Amino acid sequence: MIRIENLHKTYRAADGREVQALADIDLEIAGGEVFGIIGRSGAGKSTLIRTLNLLERPSSGRVLIDGEDITRLDREALYALRRRIGMIFQHFNLLNAKTVAQNIDWPLKATGHGNAAERAARVAELLALVGLSEHGHKYPSQLSGGQKQRVGIARALANRPRLLLCDEATSALDPETTQSILRLLLDINRQLGLTIVLITHEMQVIRTICDRVAVIDGGRIVESGKVADVFLHPRHAVTRSMVAQSDALAAASLDPAHAYMSDKLRGTLVRLTYLGDVTYQPILSRIMAGARVQVTILQGEVSSIKDVPFGQLLLELEGSEEDIRAVFAELDRHRIHHEVVQ
Amino acid sequence: MDLSVIDWGDIWQATWETLVMTGVSLLFTVLLGLPLGILLFVTARRQLLEQRALYAALSFVVNVLRSVPFLILLIVMIPVTVILIGTSLGVEGAIPPLVVGTAPFFARLVENVLREVDRGVIEACQAMGIRTSRIIFGALLPEALPGLIAAVTVTAITLMSYAAMSGVIGGGGLGDLAIRFGYQRFQTEVMVITVVLLVVLVQFIQYAGDRLVLYFTRK
Repeated sequence: MIRIENLHKTYRAADGREVQALADIDLEIAGGEVFGIIGRSGAGKSTLIRTLNLLERPSSGRVLIDGEDITRLDREALYALRRRIGMIFQHFNLLNAKTVAQNIDWPLKATGHGNAAERAARVAELLALVGLSEHGHKYPSQLSGGQKQRVGIARALANRPRLLLCDEATSALDPETTQSILRLLLDINRQLGLTIVLITHEMQVIRTICDRVAVIDGGRIVESGKVADVFLHPRHAVTRSMVAQSDALAAASLDPAHAYMSDKLRGTLVRLTYLGDVTYQPILSRIMAGARVQVTILQGEVSSIKDVPFGQLLLELEGSEEDIRAVFAELDRHRIHHEVVQ
Repeated sequence: MDLSVIDWGDIWQATWETLVMTGVSLLFTVLLGLPLGILLFVTARRQLLEQRALYAALSFVVNVLRSVPFLILLIVMIPVTVILIGTSLGVEGAIPPLVVGTAPFFARLVENVLREVDRGVIEACQAMGIRTSRIIFGALLPEALPGLIAAVTVTAITLMSYAAMSGVIGGGGLGDLAIRFGYQRFQTEVMVITVVLLVVLVQFIQYAGDRLVLYFTRK
């Protein structure tokens, strides 16, 4: 659905220096998927998502949406394109002078979409979709952050877009509200078949709703792929540190250099990673039952990435080299990824 | 103080004239200054319709007009006023210099008020594919309404004091009365009454403006 080819963006800073915001960006986003772009602040993620509706014009390169290079559209065609793309924002960007219902109606009214009765029906439908049917007459200042973002979502969906851009949509919300907004986005993605592109600095957001992720750093994409692959087997240093920070305690205990741990270690440290149904099967117990190896669980997590369960365990194995190799062979047979940690 | 020397008929007449001068000038100031202020805002750097040359030219004209002291402007405008109205005297004669003196001031206030509107809101409208003219009139101005009302209030009060000053060149109203009776005929009572009336009028305008701002504030 979206293809970004060799995209570059440089701009001139206030002091006259040329700043490279994006370089060599190549991305492909399929229709119907939830695609996340994660990076630290200043990494260029915001600039990148804004090139998808040309709020930011790339310096060079192409942005293709449904095969059409949007950087070459004339003004009228750009208006038409933007009406087919919804966007929500970190600070909601609602019109304070309009009520909730008027905010949702505004993109319809301002683009000459239907008569008053049709629009009112559409607004009622959207209010119901985001669970705010009771709040149509209120002004944004009377709503909580989560409710404001729901209005933002309803407004973004008003023109029935096929693509929704989320610019740090949950970064201003508390964790609980974040979860409810993410759940709503996922529902919309599934019910309406809407493609969602989101940017965030929170690994948790990526883990909860994204199918694929790209990691951006210094204006370049350093790693991309399925969320489970990137999250469980991060290759780039930036990705590793982001994964680690998403669970700081685990990161500390997983660090074999940790003083407390290194004093007491005798055996071989092994990290197991597994995904899918195997997560809920007694594989470890089966493997260990026949093995002449002592096992200690040092750290572990069993959770899910989007809907896919996964487990990650740090084990200490004590036994002869041969016995340990036998355990590895069993792990391989069950397709459980393992690596020796030094 | 002997209030018996005061001709209250003159006072009410002058008060009415001051209100007419202020009101009519305010109307024309807003009619000229609001579009000018909007134009200043949208043509500025990184704004909706960035036009640096146009912005620089408009900004220069506004600055020039604002830098002329009002008393000088009153005198300089006399020939222009005669061409426009037929006379430079009385209530009508005071209106052109008042408008020319305050419209640039009001335009600058409008520009500043519009700059206070959250950029993100305008950007959200752009992302919806809404035409720029529609964004200006349907989103920008309604969002800025409380600020615009406050700007009108400030301008109205400035106009009232300028209107009083126009008494110097033969404009009507309380200023004229104060100069002719209070100053030239040494009737301190008239001076005191006109000042008190001006204070009351200004207080009322400010109060009314504040109430309106509050009424339209949704934040």
